[in-house]
Amino acid sequence: MAKIGRIKIRVPHSITKGEVIPVQVLVTHPMETGQRKDKKTKELIPAYYINGVDVYYGDSLITHCDWTIAVSANPFMTFYVKAEKAAPLKIVYKDIKGGVYEKTVQISPQ
Amino acid sequence: MERKDKDLVLSRRAFLKTGGATCAVFLLAGSLPSLVKPAFGAPKKESIKDVLKKQFGDKPMSMSHVDIKAPIIAENGAVVPIRVVSDLPMRDDDYVKKIYIYAEGNLQPYVAGINLTPANGKADFSLRIKMRKTANVRAVLETSKGKLYEASRSVKVTIGGCGG
Repeated sequence: MAKIGRIKIRVPHSITKGEVIPVQVLVTHPMETGQRKDKKTKELIPAYYINGVDVYYGDSLITHCDWTIAVSANPFMTFYVKAEKAAPLKIVYKDIKGGVYEKTVQISPQ
Repeated sequence: MERKDKDLVLSRRAFLKTGGATCAVFLLAGSLPSLVKPAFGAPKKESIKDVLKKQFGDKPMSMSHVDIKAPIIAENGAVVPIRVVSDLPMRDDDYVKKIYIYAEGNLQPYVAGINLTPANGKADFSLRIKMRKTANVRAVLETSKGKLYEASRSVKVTIGGCGG
C-alpha cells in the first residue's frame, strides 16, 4: 500500500484576484472503522482514522473538519477558497494514533 | 392391556407437563439474550432522530437553500461521493458556520462536520463517504446567526461499505 499520509492538492493554474477557486485534496489513509474483521485471524482490525482536518490560508484557519469512521478510505474532498491574497494554503490532517500530515501549496492570484 | 393404556395416558400427561416446562424455559432463554445483548454484542445503532435531537435540540429546520448531489445508485457503499451545496451568502456578518453530514443507515449516523468561514467564498463541500446500506443522506447547515437548514436524499447501495 502506498505511504500513509501522502497528500495531493490540486488548485487551478491561473487564478484571478477575488475568484472563488475549488481546492481538491486527496490523502492516503486506510480509515479503518474498527468494525472490520481480519479474514485469517478472525480478529477485529483496530480503528485507525483521520478525525481532524485544518485548512490555513496565510495565518488564519479558514476551514476545520471533524471526521468519523464513515469517511471513505483515502479521503478525497473538495472545498472552495476565495483567493484574495498571495499566501500559502496549508492543509493539516490528524489521525487518532497521533499522526500529523501536512502539505502546503502557494496561491498566487494575478 | 389395561395397564398399557394407563401407561399411555400417564406418559401423555407427563409429556405435556415436561413439554410445557421446556417451552417456558425456551421462552425465558429467548428473552434473556435480548436483555443482555446490548452490553456485550455489536455496537447498538443510534437513531437519526436521537442524534439530531442531541445536536440541535428542538430548533426548527427549514427545508430550503441546501442541495445534496449524490448518486441515485451507489454500487460500492465504501465510496459514495456526496456534494453539499448551498446558495446562502458567505458575508462577514452572515455566513454558513457549519455543515453536518449524516448517513441514516449507519450505526453511527454522524459522518462529518465541516466548519466554514467567510474566507471560503461559498458553502460547497464534497466528500466521499461510507454507507452501510440503502438509506437517506442528510445534510444540516448552521448559519452564524443560528438558523438551521436541512436537505436529504435517498441513495441506493448495492454493496455495504462498513465491512464485517
